Amino acid sequence: MIVFEDVTKIYDPDVVGLLDFTCHIGKGEFVFLVGPSGSGKSTLIKLVLKELMPEKGRILVAGRNLGTLRGNKVPLLRRNIGCVFQDFKLLPNKTIFDNVAYALEVVGEPRRSIRRKVPEILSLVGLADKTNSYPHEISGGEQQRVSVARAFVNHPPLLLADEPTGNIDPETAVGIMQLLVRINRTGTTVVVATHDRDMVNRMRRRVLQLEAGRLVRDEHRGSYDQVTDSEEEEA
Amino acid sequence: MRLGFFLSEALGSMRRNWVMAMAAVITVLISTAILGAVLVTRDNLNQGATSLKNRVMIEVFIKDTASPDAVQALERKIQGLPAVKSYKYISKEEALRRFRLRFGDKIVENLPINPLPASYEIQVKDADKVDAVAAQFFNDPTVDNDPGTHNGVKYAAETVRKMLGTINLIEKGMWVTTLIFAAAAVLLISTTVRLSIFARRREVEIMRLVGATNWFIRWPFVLEGFLTGLIGAVLAAVFVYFGNLGIHNWIQSSQINFLDIKLFPMFWQGGAWPLGLLPTLAILGAFLGAAGSLVALRRYLKT
Repeated sequence: MIVFEDVTKIYDPDVVGLLDFTCHIGKGEFVFLVGPSGSGKSTLIKLVLKELMPEKGRILVAGRNLGTLRGNKVPLLRRNIGCVFQDFKLLPNKTIFDNVAYALEVVGEPRRSIRRKVPEILSLVGLADKTNSYPHEISGGEQQRVSVARAFVNHPPLLLADEPTGNIDPETAVGIMQLLVRINRTGTTVVVATHDRDMVNRMRRRVLQLEAGRLVRDEHRGSYDQVTDSEEEEA
Repeated sequence: MRLGFFLSEALGSMRRNWVMAMAAVITVLISTAILGAVLVTRDNLNQGATSLKNRVMIEVFIKDTASPDAVQALERKIQGLPAVKSYKYISKEEALRRFRLRFGDKIVENLPINPLPASYEIQVKDADKVDAVAAQFFNDPTVDNDPGTHNGVKYAAETVRKMLGTINLIEKGMWVTTLIFAAAAVLLISTTVRLSIFARRREVEIMRLVGATNWFIRWPFVLEGFLTGLIGAVLAAVFVYFGNLGIHNWIQSSQINFLDIKLFPMFWQGGAWPLGLLPTLAILGAFLGAAGSLVALRRYLKT
C-alpha cells in the first residue's frame, strides 16, 4: 500500500524531516509510527498525502508514484486516503452532518446516497444524536469521532492518523483507537502516528520507530519502547 | 457542476460571515457608485460639449446689391464645401421678422426701409473646421464685406477655439478620472475579498486535505464574490440614478434651468454605450467580485 525508498526530506534551513527512510507497509496492515516530536512522523504522513515533496527517493502509494503524479491528480489521491489529525480539522461553520457530507460532495456522490451514508457512519461512531450540532458544541473526543467518520465515509483503502488521541483524555482515546481497529478490520490499511505509549503497548501491532528522521526499529507486534531480551524474560 | 451545492455554500458563507459580506458589499457599492457618478458626469459633459459644438455657426451676410445669380452661385459654393453640415438661407424678410421678435414692433415700425441684409447660416460638421470654412467667404464679392475687412462673415473665432480646447481637456480629464476610479475600485474590492478569504484559509486547507479539487473549492468563493459584486453594484446603480434624478429635478426647477442635465437611463440608452446604468455597473461589479475571489484564492490553492 505504501512504499518509501530512500526518502529524504530536508526542511528549509537544514532541518531534517526524513533521512534515507525506507519502509514497506502492506495492504490491510495496522501500523504505529512512534518517536519523539520532530522525529519525522508528521513529515511521513504529509509526504504520503503529497502535501510535501521529498528531496530524494521514491514514494509509492497504492501503486502510484507520487513523484510523477500530476498536481491535478492530487485531489484524487487524497480521496483514497482518509485523514485524522490531532486538531480534528473540522470545518467550523458546518454541522457534524455537513462536515462528513463534504467528503462525499467532493467526490460527486449523489445527494440521496449522501443522505443515507452520513447517518450510517455517524451512528457507527456513536454520534447519531449530534448530527445537527456544530464542532464547537461537542467535546474533543466527539470531534475526533466526527473526523474519523469523515475519513472513513468514502471507505478509502488507506487511513492516516496523526496523533489522533493527542488532544483527548485516555478513556475517550481508547474509543477512538477501537474505531480505528474496526476500520482496519474492513480491510483498510491504517497508519497511526502517536505518542501514546499505553495504547501502543496494549495493542501489540507493527511499530515503526523514528528518530531524527531515521527508521530505527521496525517490529511486528511491537511495543512503544524497544524491549531488550532481558526485560522480556522478566516479563 | 453542482450549482445547487455551490450556491448554497456561497449563500451560507455570506450569511455566517455577514459582517464581512456587508463590508464587501459596501465597498463595491461605494466604488461602483463613484464610477457611476463619473460615468454620468462624463456623459453630461460630453453632451454639453456636443451641443456647444453644434451651436458653432457661421453667418455670411449678402450684399443688398447682389444679383440673384450671384446669390445662387454663393449657395452652390456653400453646398460644395465638404466641411459644411447644413445651411439655411435667411431672407431680408426673415431677418426682419426675427429682429421684430427680439426687439419688438415699435422699432421696426419706425424704419423707412428694411436695413437688414439677407444671409446664410452655416453649420459645420466639425467645430475644428470653422476657421477654414469662414475663410472661404472673406474675399467673396457677393458677401457684404466692408473693403479691407471681412466683417460680412460672422463667427465666434476666439471663443470657439477656447471652448474647443476646454472641452477637449475636460474630456481627457474625465477619461483619466474614470480610469483612476476603476483602478481604485478593483484594488478596494480585491483587498476586501482577500481579507475575507484570509479569514477562511484554514477551511480551504481542510477542503484540500479531504480531496476537493481546486475548482470545487473555488466555485463557492467565486459565486460569493459574484453575488457580493452584483448586490453592491445594483445598489450603487439605484443610488446614482436617484442622485442624477435629484440633481436634474433641482436644476430644472431653479434659476439655472438652461443647463440641460441629461438623465442617464437605468436600463437601456442605445448609441455607442448602449447599456444603461444598472446593467453597466452590475456587470462590472459582478465581474470584479468574481475576479477578485479568483485572484485572492490563488495563493491558497497551489498544489
